[in-house]
Amino acid sequence: MSAPRTSSPLLPMLAVAALALVLYWPVMLVANRGVADEALRSGADLGCGTAWQCATVLRNPVLPAPGQFAAGFRTLSTPPLAPTSAPYNALVTGSETLLGLALASVLGLGLATLLVFSRSFERATLPWLVASQTVPIVAIAPMLAVILGQYGVQGFLPKAIIAAYIAFFPVAVGAAQGLRSPDALQLDLMRTYRASAWQVFWQLRLPASLPYLFTALKVAATAALVGSIVAEISTISFSGLGKMLAENSRASDTVALWVIMVYGAALGIGLVALIGALERVVTRWRPAR
Amino acid sequence: MATRPLTLAAPAGARRGPGLGAGLLLLAALGLLGLCLALARGEAPGTPGPWLLGTLALLLVGAAGLRGAAQGEGRMARTLPAAGALLLALLAAEALLRAYAVPPGLIPTPSRVGAALWAARTVLLRDALTTFVYEALLGFVLGALAGLGLGLLAVRFRFLERGLLPYTALLSSVPIVALAPVVVKAIGLGWPSKTAVVAITVLFPVLLSTVRGLHSASAHHLDLLHSYAATPAQTFRVARWPAALPFVFVALRLSVTLALINAIVAEFFGTEGSGLGFRIQIEVGRFGLDIVWAAIVVASVLGVASYLLMGALERRFVPARRL
Repeated sequence: MSAPRTSSPLLPMLAVAALALVLYWPVMLVANRGVADEALRSGADLGCGTAWQCATVLRNPVLPAPGQFAAGFRTLSTPPLAPTSAPYNALVTGSETLLGLALASVLGLGLATLLVFSRSFERATLPWLVASQTVPIVAIAPMLAVILGQYGVQGFLPKAIIAAYIAFFPVAVGAAQGLRSPDALQLDLMRTYRASAWQVFWQLRLPASLPYLFTALKVAATAALVGSIVAEISTISFSGLGKMLAENSRASDTVALWVIMVYGAALGIGLVALIGALERVVTRWRPAR
Repeated sequence: MATRPLTLAAPAGARRGPGLGAGLLLLAALGLLGLCLALARGEAPGTPGPWLLGTLALLLVGAAGLRGAAQGEGRMARTLPAAGALLLALLAAEALLRAYAVPPGLIPTPSRVGAALWAARTVLLRDALTTFVYEALLGFVLGALAGLGLGLLAVRFRFLERGLLPYTALLSSVPIVALAPVVVKAIGLGWPSKTAVVAITVLFPVLLSTVRGLHSASAHHLDLLHSYAATPAQTFRVARWPAALPFVFVALRLSVTLALINAIVAEFFGTEGSGLGFRIQIEVGRFGLDIVWAAIVVASVLGVASYLLMGALERRFVPARRL
């Protein structure tokens, strides 16, 4: 797909990382100085003399000092499988997201097929499908949970359904675009073979849509992750990154928020990597273009 | 893409024209309206079953009407089905919610939402100004420009592409709900923190699509230009940029709806007292669900408008694919 890789990107990546780390320290000091200054002037006893010294020990810093972050990371990560630890909760959120993503793929592909095959369906529903995506799930998540609860759907599944709701649209758009990607030349060729509409779909459109579909799935994976975290925040949850986020936001424990953000990021990266691996397996047979 | 959508369905009923479809639509809408009015007169009926059947039957008639109305290429055929589908859905929802006597604290009927929309119009418009103009739109523009600029830089300087791009792919996977509290904490409760969240979330998809698109120019095309001794600038203008545009616009189209929703979600982590997200959060807490849905309607209208605008820009700027 992209340009040929002549060498490993490891060295440039390390150089950029080193630069970022060197720059982080002064940025952090400047960002925290104001807060420290304010705290000192209000008479709080921070156990340090000047605002510059206090910048690395604040309880709720704007940017945490690396030492603070490391300490917070250790506290939240051990033991890894305790119900209060971040790795365990990331695992819970991850499985909700995967289930939601699977639901979203089925729904999105079905919808894309309908959109491509029926112009009346497209014209009647596409604007409202778009509109449905601007509905903030945070607002409907509690209502959805109540309605689902009335039908005996509780615990894991409501979160997966809310994740699927926010993730199906990128999948549908990407898949529809992919199904339309064969150009007139290819379609004409199929016509000269007297291929039926079904054969055109199965042998030309569906394979042609795969690159688009997987690109869309990567977008959808992060969207689904957002969906399950939001669902955890706004429904009664006992585990998951969303619950941790809500608790620490209420307690305004900034360092913990940073640690959870890193775990959320790692989870998102892991999900996208998983889909990338799936893509390589599925599209292995495709000839290089 | 820019090519016309190629539908495989045979244009059945094309000869009957959109007139019959519009007639069936009108019939179904009037029937549903009649159901709503009949239900509005008295108390909720004891047995909702017949009302459900009546609604479903009228919806079937409406669906047939939609199919007929969508034939052809005129302006009518493009707008009538969407408007008709919305009208039928709203009327059916009104009838069913009334027939089953669903409490307005759980799901308010469309007419109640409409009344709330009108009653709270000044507040909602002020909220929309904050959320849409200052947060979503400004954030989207800033993020898209930054993404495009960084993408061009990354393709120009291979070191940057190899050193920076892997991180952007990683960073684009940070869920916005995990990012928002940290950013709001760092920048403050005013609208700039939400603008920053939106810009960050738009930047990465645009950057990645730009780079991917710039690399997607066909090798034959590039070889040909090379054999013509074209300068890099010419190659960029003739081959690379046109190849990149469809990719860029896919990212923009997907980001523009996400920008609005991300602005709303970011508002849940603290505001200075205005914005659609703020309104929704406050009113959910007070069980003012008709205002909540009214705010959702405003957000949806803005979201659809920006999506359609992006679609129009895409048709205007992405060259149609030639054979």
